[in-house]
Amino acid sequence: MTIARLYLSDDTSSRAAGAGRLAEYLRARADVQLIRTSTRGAFFLEPMIERDSPAGRVVWCNVTLNDLPNVIAGTGGRPVDTIPYLAQQSRATFANFGITEPLALDEYQSRGGFKGLEAALALAPPAIIEELKVSRLRGRGGAAFPVWSKWQAASHTAADDKYVVVNADEGDAGTYCDRMVMEGDPFRLLEGMLICAHAIGATKGYLYCRQEYPAAARAMRNAIRKAEEAELLEVNGRTFPIEVVMGAGSYVCGEETALLESLEGRRGVVRAKPPYPAVSGLYEKPTIVSNVLTFATLPNILARGGAWHASLGTEGSRGTIALQIGGRVKQAGLVEIPFGITLRRALDQFGGGMAPGSQFKAVQVGGPLGSLFPESRLDIPICYEAFAEAGAILGHGGIVVFDQETDMVALARHFMAFTADESCGKCTPCRIGSVRGREILDLVQGGCGTADDLALLADLAETMKVTSLCALGGRAPYPVLTAIEHFSEEFNNRLKLTGGQADR
Amino acid sequence: MTRARHPGLADIIASCRPHRPAKPNLLKTLLTIQQALGYVPIAAVPQVAQVLGVTEADVAGVLSYYPDIRTETPGRHVIRICMGESCMANRCPAVFRAVRDYLDHGIGEADPRSRFTVEAVYCMGNCALSPTVAVDQDIYGRVEPERIPSLMEPYR
Repeated sequence: MTIARLYLSDDTSSRAAGAGRLAEYLRARADVQLIRTSTRGAFFLEPMIERDSPAGRVVWCNVTLNDLPNVIAGTGGRPVDTIPYLAQQSRATFANFGITEPLALDEYQSRGGFKGLEAALALAPPAIIEELKVSRLRGRGGAAFPVWSKWQAASHTAADDKYVVVNADEGDAGTYCDRMVMEGDPFRLLEGMLICAHAIGATKGYLYCRQEYPAAARAMRNAIRKAEEAELLEVNGRTFPIEVVMGAGSYVCGEETALLESLEGRRGVVRAKPPYPAVSGLYEKPTIVSNVLTFATLPNILARGGAWHASLGTEGSRGTIALQIGGRVKQAGLVEIPFGITLRRALDQFGGGMAPGSQFKAVQVGGPLGSLFPESRLDIPICYEAFAEAGAILGHGGIVVFDQETDMVALARHFMAFTADESCGKCTPCRIGSVRGREILDLVQGGCGTADDLALLADLAETMKVTSLCALGGRAPYPVLTAIEHFSEEFNNRLKLTGGQADR
Repeated sequence: MTRARHPGLADIIASCRPHRPAKPNLLKTLLTIQQALGYVPIAAVPQVAQVLGVTEADVAGVLSYYPDIRTETPGRHVIRICMGESCMANRCPAVFRAVRDYLDHGIGEADPRSRFTVEAVYCMGNCALSPTVAVDQDIYGRVEPERIPSLMEPYR
């Protein structure tokens, strides 16, 4: 009997697409050897099943139970390389995705894993930081702060203990690349943490994972155990313990200082900066807090050199960006490409245009605090500098497309209500401003608002932007204001007629 | 009374007492209690405060801050419906209504709410397969409202 060796993703979204039922069936077959891999990130094609061929992997897409006889017999299927969505990407951080078993350490190593750490170990800490400076890597979580600069500050601060903290509180709706990294290539994240630990002389690592990601936390705990057994978790000849800590549903805990408060077990309330965490962070010790994707980018930078990373992208945005396209598009999923492609091209080339029956209305980039773009503004290049110039943010790379059925007033109200729910309460502009903002939008949505209310909202938004302590309050007005700016008619049509007796 | 209802509570709290000189971690303590009991009884607040050497206000403050810490027993099954932007774009309010309708009319039981807890959540990282619904640890993508009755069937 010939045994068919089949690859099926075990990613949370693959399971949500039905991979679990396929696995159940395949496991019961004596003529099948089933390997659970990470996902390719082409979620619109999930569940996908792959098998080896002399010319590389062959894939069956959107597989149902009825398709399995064909898959097992090896009939049909197409080379993975012929899927344009995948072939047109430049995968670096996500190069292993869809190919390897997430927890197979030997497989990770045979595909270049821990080469970055090896390179880092051959360098003195200042030389590692110099390499990062050359790479011009900026933090991928949203703030886009130059990574080397944080490391320099932490390494120059003398302390008995220093910490490396992974921000895995990926709270922006529309984003999931951190979840993919943790579930699909956990050793890459650990390698990035170890590189950072060597550079700053850290004594302990933490991974603060949002509660909504149980599979990611499980994968990381297992990866940590395997790395421990392989004696990989060592820094300067000392054990470097890494602990996974779960959050409890607070969005603002993705802000680095609120995250540190939460890690210490308190209310996740934002701290005033300075001092910055790199100087005084967790338990007032020098702490590097960076997003999952930032750490996962490090192994390639050290292995291939900072110059390699700096050669990709645009002037102010080097390397690749992980776009996560969702909403009413045909082809939702992860796209890793160098910075610089226009938003329009990203939506056409990768998003594949609108879902059947949908017409484009607006796209939000950068999560719930990101600006909305109408059709006329889609030619903006996807890079930090162009977005900054437009008063927008790339955030964590989330792109959500809305169609003609979207009620912009309701959506604006949804954004403000979100901030009101999630505000930590430390600063007044965010705590009170978001509630007042929601109330005004409630009035407008209910047909009781006036032009004066919208003027008041604009004024309030300006105050929140300028005076809030962190990006939650500071950015919250942007999606609301861009909705009003680009879809003013919808707002004006909902206003109550003012003046005279008409509204009595 | 709490002690009688939750015989293990004192031991759980004691196990969270930090080794000196470390400071107590309130969030971790409350999550440990929740993991053991399914929720954190309000009556546990003074006990936690006493054992960890903090004020009751400290404990209550952390307890009320985090949305995922419950103070009441959840239903046997917890249904979470995503309200994130990608799910909003893909008509998740209709999914929410379908779940409510199912529990109100479709299940044919006097008090389905004791068996099911329904929560609107904000993003489960399944945005490429919106709209998303999770029942306990099972996550479902591309959920059309019409699919709710058959999706819920195994959990009745």
